[in-house]
Parts: sequence; structure tokens; C-alpha cells
Amino acid sequence: MAESKRKIQKELTRKHILDTAIKKFGHNGFVKTRTLDIATAANISHGSLFAHFPTMDDLMTSAIEEFGNRLCTRLHDEVSKKQSLPDILQAHLNGILDFEDFYTHLIIERRLLPESAKNTYIVIQSTISFHIGLAAEKEIQQGKIKNMPLHMLFNAWMGMIHYYLSNGDLFQQNGSIIKAYGPELLANYLLFIKST
Amino acid sequence: MIKCIACGMPMNAKEDFACGDITKNYCKFCMREDGSMQSYREKLNSMTEFIIKTQGIKEQPAREAAKSMMAKLPAWQNKIDDM
Ligand SMILES: [Zn+2]
Repeated sequence: MAESKRKIQKELTRKHILDTAIKKFGHNGFVKTRTLDIATAANISHGSLFAHFPTMDDLMTSAIEEFGNRLCTRLHDEVSKKQSLPDILQAHLNGILDFEDFYTHLIIERRLLPESAKNTYIVIQSTISFHIGLAAEKEIQQGKIKNMPLHMLFNAWMGMIHYYLSNGDLFQQNGSIIKAYGPELLANYLLFIKST
Repeated sequence: MIKCIACGMPMNAKEDFACGDITKNYCKFCMREDGSMQSYREKLNSMTEFIIKTQGIKEQPAREAAKSMMAKLPAWQNKIDDM
């Protein structure tokens, strides 16, 4: 009983650290954030943070994994409901919106991140592309959208989103880029891929 | 939620499981034609191809990402230093 209570407490603390880390990375970026900043913001000792995440690499990688799990679960649910391609793309935008600051730093600083974090990012993007592909496949067969290779379908979509996010300061003074431009990006992307 | 031990995919529906058999702990994408689970080498190759197909990136970063992902999955805990 006491054992399982401790286990639950440990899991809660771990989650609390991850949520705090995601916020901190979203505010200050990955490279500039120190483990001490995260421990202070999470209101725990530096030692306690290291008990959960022995290195900054572990913490960054776990934070990216946490983001990926939430985003991919959302897409997985949408795909299993047999939603259309626009629905899946909208779910993707909503998933990014929940983590917009974090995600923006992730794509801008990706090359500077430790290998394990970079690898986690690659796997997440493949999972997203796979789900987009499942929805697109049907619409390609029905002749609704152009028959493009999956990686081009995905990279063109990502190209638009990442261009707006990484140059966000040019598009929006304050507030969310995805909120302000998501509908326009989605509508025009659908036009680009539509069969003629 | 049950996840495939070999690729981490969530398995909700019966048809997500290998051979549609919910007592199996690996998914339909991780099985061979005869229904058995793929080897480390087979899975690493198919995972690498999956990453290339979905993002169009080069083989080397794709393979590194596949290795790093598999290192976290229960099926491959003793296989990490194989290759
Ligand atoms: Zn699998």
C-alpha cells in the first residue's frame, strides 16, 4: 500500500517536472534553459530533479516525448474515427497549438539539441506523417487530391507551418500564430493538393 | 492502453494485433508473413524505411532515429548493442 502510494507520488512529481520543463523550454528555449531554472519553477530541489532526470539530455528528450505522445494520441483517435484529411490536419494544428511556444523553439533549435532529442523529434514527425497518409490514401483513391508521394504531401504541409512558426515575429506581434494563420494555411494547402 | 512491444504502436482494435490475436503482444506491422515477430534486424530495416517513406530524409539519420526509438521498447532491451 505504502509502496504503491510512493510510486504514484513519484509519477506525479515526474509529470510535474515535465510540465514545468515544457513551459520553461517554451519561454526561454532549449539551449538557454538550465536544470536549476526548471527545478526552481517546479518548486523542487535540484537534487530531486536529478533523481528523476539524471541529465539535461534526459529531460529534453522526455519533454519532447511527452509532447509527441499527446499529439500522436490525438491524431490516432481522429484516424480511428475515420476522419477526413482536413479533420486530421486540423487535429494536427490543434495539437501544435497546445504546445505552440515549445514546438516553435523545438523546430528553431533542433540542430543544437542532443542526439536522443533529435531522434525523438524524427520519430514523432514520422508518426504524424503516417496518420496524415492514412487519411490522404482514401482521398487519393477517390481522386479528390493529387497523387503525391507521402513525404511530399507531409513536407509541403510542414513547410508552410514551420515557415510561419519560425518567422512568427514577422507575422504576429503577440499571440498565437496557429490561431491567427492556421485556418488560412489549412484552406490553401487543401487547394494546392486538390485534384485538377 | 496496450502498446506493441516491438514498435510502441497503441493497439486498440482487434485488427491492430498480429494475426488479429489479442493475446499477442506485438502488432500487425511487426509480424512476419508466418505470424511470428520480426527480428531486431528486420524491424530496424522496416522502421528505417518507414521514416524515409514518411519524411523523405536520408538513410543515415533515419536509421539512427529508428535505433534510438527501438532502444526504448521492451522487445529490444537486450539487442541494443547488436549492430
Ligand atoms: Zn509493432
